[in-house]
Amino acid sequence: MAIDGLQEASDGALVLAIARYHQEALAEAYRRYGGAVFALARRLLVEQSLAEEVTQEVFLRLWQQPDRFDPERGSLRSYLLAQSHGRAVDMLRSETSRRRREEREARETAEGGYDIEREVLDLAIGDHVKEVLERLPSEERRAIELAYFGGLTYREVATRLDQPEGTVKSRIRSGLKRMRADLVDAGIGGVWTES
Amino acid sequence: MDRELTHDEVTELLGAYALDAVEGDERDAVDRHLNECPRCRAEVGDHRTVASFLGSAGGRAPDGLWDRIAGSLEEAPPELRLAPVVPITQRRSVSLRVGAAAAAVAAGVIAGLGLEVTHLNHQVDHLAAPERPDTALLSAATQALADPRTQRVSMRSTDGRRSAEVALGSDGTGFLVAEDLPALPSDRTYQLWALANGQKISVGVLGASPHVVAFRYVPSGLSGFAVTDEQAGGVVSTQNAPVVLGNLQRT
Repeated sequence: MAIDGLQEASDGALVLAIARYHQEALAEAYRRYGGAVFALARRLLVEQSLAEEVTQEVFLRLWQQPDRFDPERGSLRSYLLAQSHGRAVDMLRSETSRRRREEREARETAEGGYDIEREVLDLAIGDHVKEVLERLPSEERRAIELAYFGGLTYREVATRLDQPEGTVKSRIRSGLKRMRADLVDAGIGGVWTES
Repeated sequence: MDRELTHDEVTELLGAYALDAVEGDERDAVDRHLNECPRCRAEVGDHRTVASFLGSAGGRAPDGLWDRIAGSLEEAPPELRLAPVVPITQRRSVSLRVGAAAAAVAAGVIAGLGLEVTHLNHQVDHLAAPERPDTALLSAATQALADPRTQRVSMRSTDGRRSAEVALGSDGTGFLVAEDLPALPSDRTYQLWALANGQKISVGVLGASPHVVAFRYVPSGLSGFAVTDEQAGGVVSTQNAPVVLGNLQRT
């Protein structure tokens, strides 16, 4: 595989080149998705240094274990963001960050809570995603917000919302399924297959 | 968690699992189930794709972060079981002993190829992949190259300027990854040969500009692979010197 033309390479071709130790391919993956990976980690962790640490870990892991990316399960972007989210949540749940989290939650509460729509920025499909979010029942939307951006388990979400655990578990799943169906209906079906 | 979850119990957890909103024991139980259940794996992939749109595109990462990542690559070299791809200029700095031995073996096999005219099971199948390999093929090739159970052959030209790699599973599924074979004119094609039991057996025609190609060859007495430059359509036997050639790596 020629390394020339990496900017036009598909995600799968990039990962194959990464598996072949081409650092330029990792740099291209970072150029495409480094900003989103960092932004998501920072959204959860607030502190820039921690978000940078997560971003570094995510791309180092892609370098060391490129075969963990399975293009049949989704795009490289969604894979890297899932990695970023998982690592950020691990940090949030660690004892050392508990105090920081409590401080952040107090601040979020003072500001009126999470607003998922504020998170949907810059994407070319942002308007469609906003429409989909607006159609989501509020109880499903709230459960997803607390879990995804608050880093809470569904049990913690249930406690926070004073709802049965099973109900929260179901609402998260049904909300995600509803959003997927709406996104596809909105003509964003192409997002489910890698470019 | 002391017991395995049922399929229905796992499916109820998939949304929370995709958002990292389950606890450790539940995550482990779902992980085990996903290894066995492609339908649930697909659903988790869908949920994570949806979640990826909830985050903002994010703009640029902080200045200097990439430099730190690149710096850490040097401190922590990858642990993949892959032969490192080094620039051609560095390849020549491989230890003299190894280089000389490899050259001697290569020269011997090349001589054998030049003289050997016996051919069995000739396959002139067209194996060439599309110009841009599809992601499933790339993924399969990546996993095969990283799998310690596959047999590996690193092929190289005698001057070290060209290389290609083969990963061959015990079931006969193989992948050729060619990084720097120059594109041939339209009336020429590359052709892959297995070297087995002192003979060269055509595995298939690779096309004029192969990058990643899947093939089938059930290994029996395999000692290596070679790629030759042939007329379009391929040949049933060859006396052409190989473009690249390599011996089976014993692990």
